[in-house]
Amino acid sequence: MSANLSGVRHTRGFDLVKPLSITVIIAVMLPLVLLPLASIFIFGTSSGLDKFWAALMAPEAIFALKLSIVTSFWATVFNVFFGLFAAYVLSKYNFWGRNALIVTISLPTAIPTAVAGFALLLLWGPYGTLGRLLEPQGIQIMFTAAAIILANIFVTFPLAFGVIKPVFDTMSSSLEEAAATIGATRWQTFWHVTLPSLRGAIVGGALLTFARSVGEFGSTILVSGNLASRTQTAPLYIFAKFNEGQVEAANAIAIVLALLSFMIFSILFFARDWLEAD
Amino acid sequence: MMRPFPNRKHRLGIGLAAIALCCSLVGCLPSTPDADHNGATITVYGFSIMKEALEKDIYPAFSAKWKREQGVGVNFVSSFAGSETITNQILQGAPADVAILAIERDAERLKQGAATASDWGLRPNHGIINKTPLVILVRAGNPKGIRDFADLASPGLRVIHPDPVSSGGAQWSILAIYGSALLRSEAETGAPDQARALQLLQALWKNVISSPGSAREARTQFELGQGDALVTYELEGLLMKQAGSGIEMVIPKATIFSEHPAVAIDRNIDVAKRPVVQAFLNFLSSDEAQKTFVKYHFRSVTNEAFNEENKEFANIEQPFTIEKFGGWQKAYPDIIEGIFLNQVRNR
Repeated sequence: MSANLSGVRHTRGFDLVKPLSITVIIAVMLPLVLLPLASIFIFGTSSGLDKFWAALMAPEAIFALKLSIVTSFWATVFNVFFGLFAAYVLSKYNFWGRNALIVTISLPTAIPTAVAGFALLLLWGPYGTLGRLLEPQGIQIMFTAAAIILANIFVTFPLAFGVIKPVFDTMSSSLEEAAATIGATRWQTFWHVTLPSLRGAIVGGALLTFARSVGEFGSTILVSGNLASRTQTAPLYIFAKFNEGQVEAANAIAIVLALLSFMIFSILFFARDWLEAD
Repeated sequence: MMRPFPNRKHRLGIGLAAIALCCSLVGCLPSTPDADHNGATITVYGFSIMKEALEKDIYPAFSAKWKREQGVGVNFVSSFAGSETITNQILQGAPADVAILAIERDAERLKQGAATASDWGLRPNHGIINKTPLVILVRAGNPKGIRDFADLASPGLRVIHPDPVSSGGAQWSILAIYGSALLRSEAETGAPDQARALQLLQALWKNVISSPGSAREARTQFELGQGDALVTYELEGLLMKQAGSGIEMVIPKATIFSEHPAVAIDRNIDVAKRPVVQAFLNFLSSDEAQKTFVKYHFRSVTNEAFNEENKEFANIEQPFTIEKFGGWQKAYPDIIEGIFLNQVRNR
């Protein structure tokens, strides 16, 4: 923890800047973030809690939520393992093309998610470059849960890597060297020395990836087929209900997703302190 | 920096336990609820406004009928979006068995893309399962005084119009506006004036503040209070009135009847499933299904007498159909592409 700055006084007497600046933060957030979020809660519960509950308990809604959580979970598992591995390799070794590789890993951030979906279709779709070869074997990837996982992996690819890599970069190599001098193998060093200092970053990267995956819409709508109770994720369900004019049903699920991300970021906030505490 | 060893092990254990818990809780894909595992499953991709009639009435009725006849029910899964959107999804390989489309042009595209081989034109009523006229929806009391399509071009009016690139209903709407302008000029001067019809479309499109992806999406935006007017299917207006929305329907003097074909996606239908899919398509033209459509404010195409049952249906003074433009084979390139896309939207 850094030194407690609030103890340092720049002015004598009552510091007006403190309440003023906090007010500015809230005033800016109000129309941009807080009120839109509040309107979801107000709209979703406006016609009574029993209607909200009924909308939430609709089999299609429950299915959509489950599907979102499962597909996001597997995308997270993959991206955290890959991100950890890539960050380790790319910060440990210097080689020709290393920077190009780092840039490529970060690329999905800037690509519109609809393009991601479209690209997956062009590759894995029944008429895609690879999908065409799989089709005769009876393997279909697009329009299944696998397609949703692939889309989630693509879209959240840089997130875990982006959180873990800076920790590697700032990690002192002297500890690893020390471990090596007392005869630790490469694996022992990684397991007992490197990994423990990465726990915070791994959990943080995982939660970010998961949160982003659960909310993913643009690529999923293209690759999933959007079939209710089959391949419809929570964001697609929300959009479908909105389009049908069932704004309440859309809001009920939106509230669940909002609470979920609130939970995720609360865990992120408190668990990181706990994991990184020495 | 170094921690006491047991503590680290402890945390690692907690971490691994948490991961294992996560895997067992959220690792498995959910199963589809309410599925009759003995029965076949028909996957239907429908254009946006088909939803209520199919899900609330047509699916259960057909499943019950099939159970009576074959001893086993039928499961349905479906997806609803703009007609062009679902057509593109199917062309890209979406697992549809049946497509119910807003426009015959999309059936034609499915045929060209080898998704369907059957000639829907040979089925009763050329494969058309129902129809509905295009009308204008305005706010309660009609504060802007809109009487016909021409009024939608008045400066400053805010119009919601679905996007013809993704929505079949939007294409019907363009044809309705264009066709009614032709008929009007014909009545006034004796000859259809294409320049005048084009001008109307251009002026009207300037007033469009939002072009959503489907007719249903456009309706939702209108219901949420955006825009002064919306061009859409009569059925949508009647459903909104039924739901108690504060809207009014304006019936144009001349307007088009949209006609909606149902197509079997032969590429996805295996031999075992063929009979039930065929029976479902036939069911859509049965008296039972046609009466159901009328209940949901679609108009029957097999028997005009069924349409007498729905007292809400408006009387259209000068109705016309796609045949006015020589069918979809001509209407799409001539009017949607040649006039709307090239001279109205991309001007």
